[in-house]
Amino acid sequence: MIKIEDLVGGYTNTTIINGLHLEIEKGEFFALLGPNGSGKTTLFKLITGQLPIKKGEILLSGKPISSLSKLEKAKKVAVLSQEVHVSFDFTVEEIISLGRYPHQKGVLKQLSKKDWQVIEEVMEITKVSHYRKTQFRMISGGEKQRVLLAKALAQEPELLLLDEPTNHLDIKHTFQMLDLLKERQQSMGLTIFAILHDLNVASLYADRMALLHNGAFLDVGDVNTLRKEGQLKKVYEVEVNTQSHPTVPKPQLLMTPNHSLHEEPFLFKDLYKIEQNDQYIHVRFDKPLRTISNGVIGEGIQWVNHFCNFHVKKNYDCSNPKQDIRMWMEIHDIPYEQAVGMMTAVKLKDMVVIEKVIEGIAMLVIVTAGVGNAVDITTEAKKSRKTKVGTINTMVFVDANFSDGALVNGYMSATEAKVKALQELQIKDPDSNTIATGTSTDALLLALTQNGKQTPYAGSGTDVGKGIGQMVYDATLKAIRKYLERVKN
Amino acid sequence: MQNSFTQKYLRNKVVWLYIVSGGFVLGTTLLGLLVSSVTIPIPTILHIVLDNSLNLGWLADVPRNEEMIIWNIRLPRVLLAFCVGASLGLAGAAFQGLLRNPLADPYTIGVSSGAALGAVSVLFFQVTIVGLGSFTLPVVAIVSGFVTLLVVFGLVRLSSRGLAIETIILAGIIISAFIGAVTSLIISLGDRDAMTQIIYWLYGSVGMRGWSHVQLIVPFMLIGSFILLIHYRELNALALGENTADHIGVDVKKGKTYILIGASLLTGAAVAVSGSIGFVGLVIPHLVRLLTGPNHRHVLPLSILAGGSFLILADLVARTIIAPKELPIGVITALIGAPVFAILLIRERIGRGDRSD
Repeated sequence: MIKIEDLVGGYTNTTIINGLHLEIEKGEFFALLGPNGSGKTTLFKLITGQLPIKKGEILLSGKPISSLSKLEKAKKVAVLSQEVHVSFDFTVEEIISLGRYPHQKGVLKQLSKKDWQVIEEVMEITKVSHYRKTQFRMISGGEKQRVLLAKALAQEPELLLLDEPTNHLDIKHTFQMLDLLKERQQSMGLTIFAILHDLNVASLYADRMALLHNGAFLDVGDVNTLRKEGQLKKVYEVEVNTQSHPTVPKPQLLMTPNHSLHEEPFLFKDLYKIEQNDQYIHVRFDKPLRTISNGVIGEGIQWVNHFCNFHVKKNYDCSNPKQDIRMWMEIHDIPYEQAVGMMTAVKLKDMVVIEKVIEGIAMLVIVTAGVGNAVDITTEAKKSRKTKVGTINTMVFVDANFSDGALVNGYMSATEAKVKALQELQIKDPDSNTIATGTSTDALLLALTQNGKQTPYAGSGTDVGKGIGQMVYDATLKAIRKYLERVKN
Repeated sequence: MQNSFTQKYLRNKVVWLYIVSGGFVLGTTLLGLLVSSVTIPIPTILHIVLDNSLNLGWLADVPRNEEMIIWNIRLPRVLLAFCVGASLGLAGAAFQGLLRNPLADPYTIGVSSGAALGAVSVLFFQVTIVGLGSFTLPVVAIVSGFVTLLVVFGLVRLSSRGLAIETIILAGIIISAFIGAVTSLIISLGDRDAMTQIIYWLYGSVGMRGWSHVQLIVPFMLIGSFILLIHYRELNALALGENTADHIGVDVKKGKTYILIGASLLTGAAVAVSGSIGFVGLVIPHLVRLLTGPNHRHVLPLSILAGGSFLILADLVARTIIAPKELPIGVITALIGAPVFAILLIRERIGRGDRSD
């Protein structure tokens, strides 16, 4: 569709673009990324002909762009830029009809039937028909941008250049706009070449992208270009972390500010309060902890302040546990958006709390255990199973700084220790009569203060991993013993 | 259903506007011919006009002096007023469209004063350019108006990148002031008689000019109007700004040049035959836009009609209000135009409430 060969150009005294090569296929959504001043807009101006090309060539469907007349070019290329100021009280319809300018023929240059058809169609797609007679300046920013898009589409272009089209739009209008463009790209094979500032939006919509840095491409490639944190950091000079979008298989970027929150030095011991009664255990921290868990709520990796374990009846109807826990938290004034919630039928009185400092790292472990539902995970599942009291809920708090990998490592360490405790006490799966590896509904959370230097590992080969293991092992042993005692009586 | 209905209604509304404006032009023309110190009945007026122009007279004997008054004095005066008003109205609409600013008109951006300087020089030095004959005055006025425009734009370009509207108007005012000083200098060099004559001329008038002046303005008016009318789409596109206009395929540079030439032709010719008449180019396009909306396809032709009939009326007022003496027509247009414009500006602010989020 468009091919750029060894392009050099810019303003009279300074060249901004220094030797670019690029080819964009028909029907592609191509995003041009780069910080302010990297030459994105200059490149666009070279394509539209507003700035002269000094060297190299831009080919549009094989023809040099400089050989096309303005009208020919306008039939192929339309531009949608940031908000345009429109003077006088033109109506929405009049603005859109200006998009037919390059197609108008004849001496009088009236709008033909065909022109009106196109205008109606683009107003339909951009959903602006209902205020066609409204004055352009009376509509909102998002609507304005849709009208200008309609005007650009009325040109029936093969290539649409977007110069930060969503710059001043809120997320609703941004996504509305881009969905509309994406739809047009997919249904009509419209080629889209867009300058986008928001890297996350670019990741969600662009098929391919180029990273422009000081007038040259640092990288051209698919969405995974955004996974290269190093080069993004180099270009934007901001600490960037690439994460995966939770539902769309595309990267999303998280930016870390350079300013750091000033933190008073603290003692791990003073950070938390444990409240325990018949209904719940509530561990409350003064600052949020980086937490990995499989709790009923607050699962996954999150920053959380409140850690709760609720007591439920043996015959608890677990059709909607999330909602129940939220409700209970609300009753007890615990903000559930910042909490991990677990549940157990074990008597909460029997909880085991161990606090220790191992190799200079302060840790806190809280375990409630029941083994009525003990299961050996390696044996075949039995279908009919009576619900008994029996779940091991483990909370591990560590005053250290873990990477995400170390979090998973630590989680494994805690699990291994729990299995070892069950082994030690010869807890058996009643169905298979083999030694159990856990219960059917165990919950575990590992929460870190992220204090100090970051640790990349927390497995059994590390001090902190071993520490977690020992503490979980000790606490689980004690808790199961308490349970066995209670069951015996 | 509803769409075709509203469209039809709108089309009809525009048609009606043309009919009303046309009727207004005819009405004011007749009024201009009728009202004066010597009352001549309407049938006689119509007879004289038709007899002299198309040889379609039906009355047997019309007094010679009545024919003289109508054909040689009143009709050229009315026609001249129409031509000048039409030219200024159209030029104003074009300048406003081009500069995207309702404050632009031949006066605010200096074209008129430039043309006036040219005209004053010709009058004062009594020069005739060989080959142009009596067209020396309008040609010099047009050329000096256009040169002034170039100077204004040059000044703007030097002082700021891009043609910022505010800068254009500021530069126009500065250049106007300078040219006004030069004009005064020329005037003060002459004797008392020449001075009075030129000053009176500068106030603007369409009286005592005769057919020769109508002949002077008509060709320029036709060419200028033609150039502007065929560029209505470019004027519409420029409302989006030059970049966006460029993106939809408008040759902005070419379009701008043609529009400036057309508007300068109209302004220069109007100044050459009538002196400085202000506010027509400012107020008329405003009023027209209020009625038709900003589409130049209708704004331009309707500005011609409205400008023409407005100036016929203004002239009528100028020569009757303190009859038998006459007021300069520029005084009347300013007395009417300035308050109207002020009202329009205030109305715009209060009535609409701009939404610029």
